[in-house]
Formats: sequence, C-alpha cells, structure tokens
Amino acid sequence: MSHILSALVFFPALAGILGFVVDKKSAKAYGIAVAAVEFLLSIWLWISFDGSNAGMQFTEYVPIIAQFGISYNLGVDGISLFIVIMATMITLLGIILLREDTPNMKNMIVSLLFLEMTMVGVFVSLDAIVFYLFWELSLVPMLYIIGAWGGPTRVYAAVKFFLYTFAGSLIMLVGLLAMAYLYNLEAGVWSFNILDWYKLQLTADQQFWLFLAFFAGFAIKVPMFPFHTWLPHAHGQAPTIGSVILAAVLLKMGTYGFVRFSLPILPDASVDFTPFIMVLSLIMVVYTAMVAFAQKDMKQVIAYSSVSHMGIIMIGVFAMNAEGLGGSIFLMLSHGIVSGALFMLVGVIYERRGTKLMSEFGGLAATMPIYATVFGVMLMASVGLPLTIGFVGEFLVLLGFYKVSVIGTIIAGSTIIIGSIYMLALFKKSFFGPVTNEKNFGLKDLDARELTALLPLVAIVVWLGVYPKPVLEPIDNSVKKLLVQMEEHAQFPSTKDAIIISKKEAE
Amino acid sequence: MESLVYVALFAPFVGSMFAGLFFGNAPRNAITGWVASTLLFVSFLASVALAVHVVHHGSVHVTMMDWISAGDLSIPFGFLVDEVSVTMMVVVTLVSTVVHIYSTGYMDHDKSYNRFFSYLSAFVFSMLILVMSDNFAGLFIGWEGVGVCSWLLVGFWYHKADRPFEENPSISPSWAANEAFIMNRVADLGMLVGIFLIYWNIGSLQYDVVFAAMPNLADGILVAIAIALFIGAMGKSAQFPLHTWLTDAMEGPTPVSALIHAATMVTAGVFLVIRANPLFSLEAVSGVSLFIAALGTFVAFYAASMALIARDIKRIVALSTLSQLGYMFAAAGLGAYWIALFHLAAHAFFKALLFLGAGNVMHAMDDELDIFKMGGLKKAMMGSYIYMGIASVALAGLPIFAGFYSKDAIIETAFNEGTYIIWGILVITAGMTAFYSFRQVFFSFHGEKRYEALGFHPHDMYKYVLVAMAPLAILAISFGWFMDDFKAFITKNLPAYEMSHHTHHWAWLLGLIVVIIAVAGIVIAYKKYAGKGANAWKRDEEFEASFIYKLLENQYYVPKFYDEFLVKPYTIASEKFWAIDKAVVDGSVDLIAKAFYKSGDVSRGMQNGNLSSYLNWMGAGALLLVVAAALATAIG
Amino acid sequence: MEIGIGHYLILAGLLFSIGFVGVLRRKNLLMLFFATEVMLNAVNVAFTAIGNYYGDLSGQMFAFFVIAVAASEVAVGLGLLIVLYKKYGSLDLETISSMKG
Repeated sequence: MSHILSALVFFPALAGILGFVVDKKSAKAYGIAVAAVEFLLSIWLWISFDGSNAGMQFTEYVPIIAQFGISYNLGVDGISLFIVIMATMITLLGIILLREDTPNMKNMIVSLLFLEMTMVGVFVSLDAIVFYLFWELSLVPMLYIIGAWGGPTRVYAAVKFFLYTFAGSLIMLVGLLAMAYLYNLEAGVWSFNILDWYKLQLTADQQFWLFLAFFAGFAIKVPMFPFHTWLPHAHGQAPTIGSVILAAVLLKMGTYGFVRFSLPILPDASVDFTPFIMVLSLIMVVYTAMVAFAQKDMKQVIAYSSVSHMGIIMIGVFAMNAEGLGGSIFLMLSHGIVSGALFMLVGVIYERRGTKLMSEFGGLAATMPIYATVFGVMLMASVGLPLTIGFVGEFLVLLGFYKVSVIGTIIAGSTIIIGSIYMLALFKKSFFGPVTNEKNFGLKDLDARELTALLPLVAIVVWLGVYPKPVLEPIDNSVKKLLVQMEEHAQFPSTKDAIIISKKEAE
Repeated sequence: MESLVYVALFAPFVGSMFAGLFFGNAPRNAITGWVASTLLFVSFLASVALAVHVVHHGSVHVTMMDWISAGDLSIPFGFLVDEVSVTMMVVVTLVSTVVHIYSTGYMDHDKSYNRFFSYLSAFVFSMLILVMSDNFAGLFIGWEGVGVCSWLLVGFWYHKADRPFEENPSISPSWAANEAFIMNRVADLGMLVGIFLIYWNIGSLQYDVVFAAMPNLADGILVAIAIALFIGAMGKSAQFPLHTWLTDAMEGPTPVSALIHAATMVTAGVFLVIRANPLFSLEAVSGVSLFIAALGTFVAFYAASMALIARDIKRIVALSTLSQLGYMFAAAGLGAYWIALFHLAAHAFFKALLFLGAGNVMHAMDDELDIFKMGGLKKAMMGSYIYMGIASVALAGLPIFAGFYSKDAIIETAFNEGTYIIWGILVITAGMTAFYSFRQVFFSFHGEKRYEALGFHPHDMYKYVLVAMAPLAILAISFGWFMDDFKAFITKNLPAYEMSHHTHHWAWLLGLIVVIIAVAGIVIAYKKYAGKGANAWKRDEEFEASFIYKLLENQYYVPKFYDEFLVKPYTIASEKFWAIDKAVVDGSVDLIAKAFYKSGDVSRGMQNGNLSSYLNWMGAGALLLVVAAALATAIG
Repeated sequence: MEIGIGHYLILAGLLFSIGFVGVLRRKNLLMLFFATEVMLNAVNVAFTAIGNYYGDLSGQMFAFFVIAVAASEVAVGLGLLIVLYKKYGSLDLETISSMKG
C-alpha cells in the first residue's frame, strides 16, 4: 500500500466529518473505533517500515503549486515513525478514558479526530508549507478543546495558548518563506521541499537569522524558558484529554521541529547557538523543577515537570552526537507516554473528587491501592529509574551532552535529584500519611475503563525500559544519517568538529 | 552453569511477582511468604552451587540480551559470576532467606503482608543485579533498583502521620523514605558522571574492557572517575555527609532494616570500591584511596560516638552499621580489598542477627524502641538474648567470633600501612563499639524490669523463627575460622594484600590491645547498666543536660543543618521562583497582550462618531505623512 | 508686474488652506461642503495654472473633470443633507454623531 501515509493523515479527518452524523449516544464508541483503526494503521506502518533504511520511506509526492515548488510531500523515517505511533496510541487511549457523561461528546470526538489528523500531518510532512498548514491547524481543535471543556478560566487559557504559539509560528513562517526565497536565489527554482533545503548552502549571517526565526516558532511550542508560561495555564484549564495530548504530542512538535529543520538546514548556526540553547535549557530544567516543587495543585506539578523534562530533550537535541540526539528522540516518546499517563492519572482523581489540590488528599495509597501503584510506576518512570522507559532517554541524553559540556551535564543531571524531590513530595502529600479528609474514604479504585487506558501505558513503560532496541535501533539509524548529512552540509571546520557521528572518527 | 546463574538471579524476581499477584486489598495470604522464602532458598542453593563451580572452574560470564545501544554505546544485560560477585551472592541470598523466613513470623499480623514480600523479594532481585552485572550500567540498574525497593520498604507503613523532629527525628516512614531516596540520588548523580567519564574515555562500560584500559588513561581522568564513583558509593553506603538517611531509614519494618540497611544494600558502596579495585589501586588515584580510608575511619568513629548515648534500639544498631561500614571503607581505601570483603560478609551475618534480635525485642515490647523502658528481658526471651549476645560479641570483636578476625585484620592493615592515626582511631572505635553494643544488650536484657511498670507483657518470637535465625548465629561465631580459605579463594580475583614481616611480628600485641580495649568497654557497660537493686542504672539528668550529650543526641546537629540550610532555602527559593514565574515571566507576556489591549482602548477614543474630529485626525495624519516625506527627502 | 505661475500657486495654496481649515474647524455640515468646494477649486486653479505654464491642455481638462465630479457630488451631498436635516432638525456635527467607538 503506497498511500499509507495519506491514509494515516486523512482517515481521521474524513471519519471526523462523518462523525457529525453519528448518533450522540454512540459517539464515543465511534471515536474508539476510528482511533483504533488509525492506531492499527500506524502499527502496520511500523511493521512494513524497513528498520535498516535510515532515509525517508513511504514517500508520496503530488505537486500542488508547481511554479512555487509547493507540493504534497510525505514520508517517515526512524525519527518521526514512533512519534506518529505514539500520537495515534495516545489519542486512542485518551478517547477510551473519556467519561461517558462528557458534555457534547460528539463534538469532542470530532475535535479529537481533527487534532489527530494535524498531529500525524505535522510529523510526516516533508514540505514546509504543508508542514506549516498542519502545524497551525493543530491549534484550532486544541483551542476548542480547552475553550469548550476546560476549567473556570478556560477562555483566557485557550486564547493565551492560541495567540502565544501563533505569534511564534508566524515568525517561523517568515523564516520558511525566506528559506524558499534563498533557495530560489541559489538554485533558480522555487522549492519548499525540506529535503532540498538540506542541500542548500547558506552564509553564517543568513543561518543566524533563519535560526532565530525557526527558534521563535519551535521554542514557544516546546516550550522553552522563558516562553513556557502558556503551558501551565493551558494544562491548568484543559480537560484531561486535552492535557494528555498537549503534553504527549503537541509539545513534541517543537522539539521535532528543531530536529527536522534547525539542525540539518542550519548546521553551523545550530552549533553556534548551542551555548545559548544550553543556558536556556538548563534554566528550564532546574528552574521549572523548583517551581514544580512549589505547586499546590497536582496537575500543575506535572505541567511544570513537563517543561523541566522538555529541557532535557532540548539539550539532547543539541548534543550533536548520536547518543544525545537519539536519546532525545527516545525521550520524546517516553516523556509523551509518561506525562500522558500522569495527566490521565490526575484526571482520574479529579473526576472522583472534583479537586486537584494535594492538600485535599493524603493517604490515597490506602484507599486506592491500584491507582497508587500505577501512579508509582509512572512516577518512577518520570524520575528516570532504570528498567523503565524514562531512564533510557535520559541516560543517553546526559551521556551525549557530556561531550558538549561537563558542567552543563552535571546541572542537567541534577534533574534526577530535583525531579525526584517534587515527584516524591507530590506522592507523599497525596498518597502517604493517614487519610485525613473524610471525602477520601471509600474512593473507588480504578475501574475497567481507566485500567484499559492506563495498563497499556504501564506495559510500554516497562517493555521499552527493559528492551528499547526495537524502537531505539531505527531511531539510531536515522539519527546517524542526519548527523552525517549535517556534517557534510556544514561549512565551517568548527561545526564539523562539533558534530560527532562516531567516536572512532572523532579520534 | 548458565542456567544456574539465571535461577539464582530470577528466583527472587518470580517470588516478588508471585507475591505481587496477591496485591492490593487482598487479605494476608501465608502462601506468599512461603513461596517467596522458598524461591530465595532456591536462589541461595544456586549461588552456593555457583560458588563451588567458581572454586573449581573459574568465573562464569553470560550475556542475556542487548539493553541499550545507540551511537557507539552498547550495553548488554550481562552477568559475571566470579569470586567477588559469588561471595556477595551467597551472602545476600543467605541473609535474605533468613530474613524472609523471619518476616513470615514478624509480619504475621500486618495487613499488607503480601505487599511486604513482593517488595522484599524485588529488593533481593535488584541487589543480585547490582552484584552480578558485568558492566557499570547494569550495576546502575541494580543500584537504583535497590534504592527504589528501599524507598518502598522504608515507607512501608506509609499511613503513619508526620511528627515534628523533636518527637521523632525521622518524622515519619514516608518522610524517611523520601529522604533516603533523594539523598541517594545526589550520590547517584556522581555515579552517573563517573559512568559518562568512563564511556567517553574508554568507549565501553564492560568491567573487563574498562579495567584493562585504565592504566593507559591520564592521571587527571582517573582521579575524576575515582572521585565520581566514590561519590556514588558514599550515598549507598551512607558515608558522611550523606549519612543521615540511614538512621532515619529505621522507620521501616525491622526485617527490612536487617536486610537492606545492615547486611546488603548499604554495603553496595563498599562492593563498588572492591569491584573497581583495579582503578582504586592505581598509583594515580592513591590520594583518593587514602581519602576513602580517612573518611571511613572518621565515619567509624563519628557513628560510634552517637551510638554511645542513643536510646532507640534500632538507631543504635543502625549507627553501629554506619560505623562498621567505615571500617570496611578504611580497609578498601588502604588497599586491603579482600579484608574489606571479608568484613562485609562477616558483618552481614552478625549485624543481620543483631537486627533480627532487636526486632524480636520490639515485637515483644509492642514496637517500643526506647531501651530506657526495657530491662531484664532475659527471662522472657532467652532465645533472643542468646542471639543478641552472640551478635554483640561478634560485633565487639572478641576472639573466636567472626568480628574478631575481620575487624582485627582491618586494624592491623592500618598499622601495616603506617597510617597510625587511622589505626589509633580504629582501635578506640573498637572499644566504643564493644561498649555501646553491650550497653544495648544490658539495657534490654539485664537489670531491673523497667517495662513492668509500663504494662508490657513481653514474649519471645515463634520457635521456627528462632530456629531460622540459627544459621546467622552459627556464621557469626564461626565465619572467622575460614579466613585463610576465604583469602585463598578470593585473592584469585582481588589483590592479595599481605601484612609485612614487621606487622606480622607484632600482630599478637595489636590483637591483644584491641581485645583489651573491647573487654574494657564491655566491663564498663556491665558495671553501668547491668546492675540490679541498689546498683541499678539511674538516669543522669546532669549528664543529659551537658553539651556533649546534646551534641550527640542531635546527631551533631547535621539533620538540623540540612533542614535549615538546604531544605528550607530550597523550599523558599521554589516559592520565590514560582512567584517570579507568575509575576515576571508570565507577567511580561501578559504585559505585551495588555499593551495591545490598552492601546486599542486608548485609540478607541478617536472613534467618537463626530465627522469633524475624524477630519481633524485625517488632517493630522496627512500632515504627518507630508512631514515624514519631507524629512525622508531631506535626509536622503 | 506680470502675474506668473508663482502667484497662481500661492492663490491656490491660500484657497486650499482656507478650505482645509474650514474642513477641520467648521461644525456645520453645509459649511463643510463649502469648505471642500473651496479646496477643490483651489486645486482647479492650480491645475489650470500649471497646465497653462507647461502649455499642456490636460491640466485644464482635469479641472473640468473636477468641476463635473464636484457638481455631481454636491448634488448627491445636498440631497443627503436635506434628508439628514429632516431627520435631525440640525446639521450640526455634534448633534448628529451617533457612532461611538
């Protein structure tokens, strides 16, 4: 099947349109069915994916505006494949976790399916314009999900989320257009094909400004310090499903953008900007982890911890070696799964108690043992315990970044300390101690619906923690190829030195 | 032999999973305890079989599968059973088996019985990974795994509420568990850095490759690796200044303290130094090694001093553990790795015995920990009394008992190396050790029956539990007799540290000094605390008010210092950062939005619906354009 | 003294300024119309003068266009004014402004 990517992108959207005519009562079942088919499609993609081929696979190419080189151009490699699978999986599990009595269930399902289209679209587009379209379109369903099903200040949060990220993306759009213009000057034809851009030689000055333009779009999405403040608002107000998808997938669009655009297109600028990114990321890791410790609201702790972990991913991206970059791609997946699961878990308790304040809880481990266990597993994955999914990525990122900066690695490595401080504090406040609040007696433990959504994630956390090879190997191949491209493409010897593909070569 | 390796390793894992099946609110199920214990016994048998195999045929090395491979990094799940690891395996599985059987009795009435065995077996599994792994990353898996199991087990009675520091220095089980985990993580960061250093300088994490490449590295890098790895070891083995968690970890159930915080996990740091002996015995890192010895000696004395006045029976034992760990580091730092390992094993046996005995006392006294409230328990608990006595004699280092051989060898090593300060402190500490361990025995088993007034009705443990403790008692007595055999066995792998001729000549005198000091300590303790009637011990209010007593009682104010200078500032800084995040970082974003909003609000005044004012604005605009054009022309 | 292009342009400028000030300052709609007419005619003067100066007829042609357009504008405009007057009973801008931002 040569059009599997198109099917992956547009199936949920078409199903979403059809969803308008589905009966209200069966909306959730319909959503699960569609998301399951989509998930199976993505699994099929993985099965037919050639792990040893590091390049783009399943490519599709249809010119849209030939004069300007805009084309419908799709493809996946090891870097994007697993993010796509994670996106479809998280959507499926998120829909399963939806409560039957969610208001306007049909609209929710339709929004989610549209969101799924844009998410998959972003990760498989190889054309800058198509990428940008999906990138911006992803804001709309999310805006709607936060604004319609959110908490008390949902409109403020939704508008902030939209405008903030939108402002950044517009600057990025300028960068993309400038890129195409420069390509035209050089090659004489217009092209928005990212793979074409990989070959373009740019001066240091051009790279500098283009990097900044891309940075505006990606950094806000990641979100990097100091552009992160929309995230706690969005998470604070979003419904559970919104937070899950936001944390698991939408944030990854930012880091993915750095990997797909900034690094290979602007290798010299990327290397030059590494200290800058490093400083921001380190502040992000330490500062937001400390802010997370100060939170009173469970969900805000997870939200800030998300930012902190994204900092680790960022330093991995800019480690410029296969260990660090591969590790950061893996960490994107593990962070998606772990933070997605943590938001689901917070949602579970919120449904029962109508509050997320830690002071309202205490002693939950006694009343909800299964819940506490699942939470504990995710907590341990979040603090990067070996043999859980969280360790592999974090270890590789820190290992890779060690080559860039020793001090930076030690500061970033403090995440294993301060990360455990806020997570364990959260766990102690909510789950340990005597049950002090009467309302916490007799809380129902996880039911079948919640277990169906959470247990697969627990299984993945353990599976990929013990045996990450099936995922890590294709990632590693593609990452190595990307680094080779970067090195060939780089113009300055200093850049070539900074990029380490294989240690043997560096010696 | 490969299958035996897997049996030894995975039997506890299966036990843990089995107990985990009965998790949640399932009622106590005696099967879980027995299945877990049996599987551990199987693991013990396999370890013994492996030990026999190693004696005759040398080490076994298996690689199960790949774990992480990215870039040039390739980490397998590989297991190495050589002299060092098989010694650890036998010790760990033996003590664990006893502790498991003990727990079936001790935890009898606990409603989380099944959960307990799940955690306990998981701990053993992690510990076995730690000792059996053939690379540093695998070691780190076990390293963190035992940390988590320790977290789970220290916080086992998580439902207890926090109490203020003055009432209970460890606040609550959950607090102590978090403290232990976080403090260990500080050290783990050091260990991670060490791993990174090794990887980027050598390109592999396999022990054999790494140690073969070590001599070729620059001195600075070797020192850095040694320091980083030792920081990791400091955390797990609770060396100063990362020691406070160990005494707080006594909040966990007593079998846990016996297994994790005395016999096995806390010795992981010592194990690491022994395992990395090719590194630590290099000339370039001799400074680090000497530091390890000095720090170990300091901790030995420091912990013993606190134990002198402690009232909490478990804290006394925990502090003695800390002190003995100091001895082990002293030996390892001075290059006598096999002696360190020998003391590690001997200590595991008698200290586990001591802890389990203390557990019996607690069990009898309804979880009362204060030795001031005990006394004269000898009659009621003869079995436990004998065990505690044996363990204390072994700990004090009296001849024939295990502790005599191992501890005396360490003290002799200090003399042999010419580090007389270390030697002197270790000798004094040996006397203190004898004093505080017998102080505790006399307090609880001799003297007046102070508990009667408080309404306790002590009774000894189940018979089968006491029988199960017998192997530990036998080893606590006899382990030292096999010192020469052990040396012959272990020095195939570890440097054969020999005493010089000179030391050998004076060995009898050195041993005599230690024994005399130890006996003196015991006699003083007997005089003070074992008397009855008119000679009975009375509280010395004046002494308790003295500065020294206060200093020791407050653990040299170290926990207070951490609270004041680390915990509180961190909390305050976090709160401040949050305020900054809201006010400044988010505020500036909102400020931009508000500026737009405000400017719209202000310029809205122009739209007043009055044509005349519109025309005025239009005129002003036109004028502005003209002026701008004129200026542009003028400037060119 | 010969009357040159300069004089015409000064006259046109003065007239335009008078009209301009009228547009800005007057409050009566009718007076505003007059003021715009004055401005238009100032431009007409300038057009014809410059056309004459260059010997180019398009200047005068443009003036005619302007006159024609102005006439039709006045026709429509006055009609609207009458309707407005009927509705509000006044042509004062202060009283008939109904849109507020």
